[in-house]
Amino acid sequence: MSPEKLDGLDPIIHSRIRLAVLSILVSVDEASFNYLKQTIGTTDGNLSVSLSKLEEAGYISIKKTFKGKKPLTTCNISEKGRQAFSEYVKTLEAYIGFKK
Amino acid sequence: MSEVNANDEIRFIREMIERTKEITAGSWMFFLVWGIVAILGVVGMYVLVYLEMFSLIWLNWIVFVAVGIVYTFVYAAKMERRKEVKSYAHKITTHLSISCGIAFILVGFVFPALSLYTWGLIAVFISLITKILVFVMGGIYNWNLLKWCGVIWWAGALGMVFLHENYRSLLFVPLILIGYIMPALVLRSMYKKQSEKNVT
Repeated sequence: MSPEKLDGLDPIIHSRIRLAVLSILVSVDEASFNYLKQTIGTTDGNLSVSLSKLEEAGYISIKKTFKGKKPLTTCNISEKGRQAFSEYVKTLEAYIGFKK
Repeated sequence: MSEVNANDEIRFIREMIERTKEITAGSWMFFLVWGIVAILGVVGMYVLVYLEMFSLIWLNWIVFVAVGIVYTFVYAAKMERRKEVKSYAHKITTHLSISCGIAFILVGFVFPALSLYTWGLIAVFISLITKILVFVMGGIYNWNLLKWCGVIWWAGALGMVFLHENYRSLLFVPLILIGYIMPALVLRSMYKKQSEKNVT
């Protein structure tokens, strides 16, 4: 996505990976780091950075636990994140509707 | 932002949401196991009828269904431990499967035991419940093959009504093969492709 004029779009969500993360998390109870990585098709590093930004903004919460002896990172969307995502989609839809 | 970009973003969001609705990879095992259990149950029942051991027919079904239930619980617990995501679609199908499972037991064992209807109607009711299970699952996962399998079960239930009650359960065999085992095999092949993709 080219970073042209943002037109009121939330800059935190306005990135492919962060948008993908929120799109997935609005549809599930919780998702693991591995699931997000496989579903989005990104690298560990890029996903980690994106998750940290979303967590800093209070859009998602990250839980680190253990599954047996392996570390397990799971994410879920917060109410603030759900609202921000909904606003983001509404802005996009309004933009398309306005153009038409 | 251009209109093309806005449309592209909406399409991208939809695509990501759709991916969370992909049918759980290991689900094929449940379809396959219950399909085999039902076919073995029908075959066992007709063998007992042929041997004129009518009193053992209930036991035949209880044994096969119990094996299916035990296997389902063990396999579901194993899948739960491995699961990477808890999707709403999976949550709905789990509740739907439990509801239909309980309905199968009530319709197949409890109600006939209470003499609410004759054993000849069991196959018809079981087919109707299977139709609901398969068709709704097809709707949740947006999988047309399952929806059509649901329609086949519905047609089968209707067809059974016109058969003599002694032969109704026989119609189960083609119904299970087409409406249950066939989607299980398709799912299995999808699962294998998905696993290969994840490895590469």
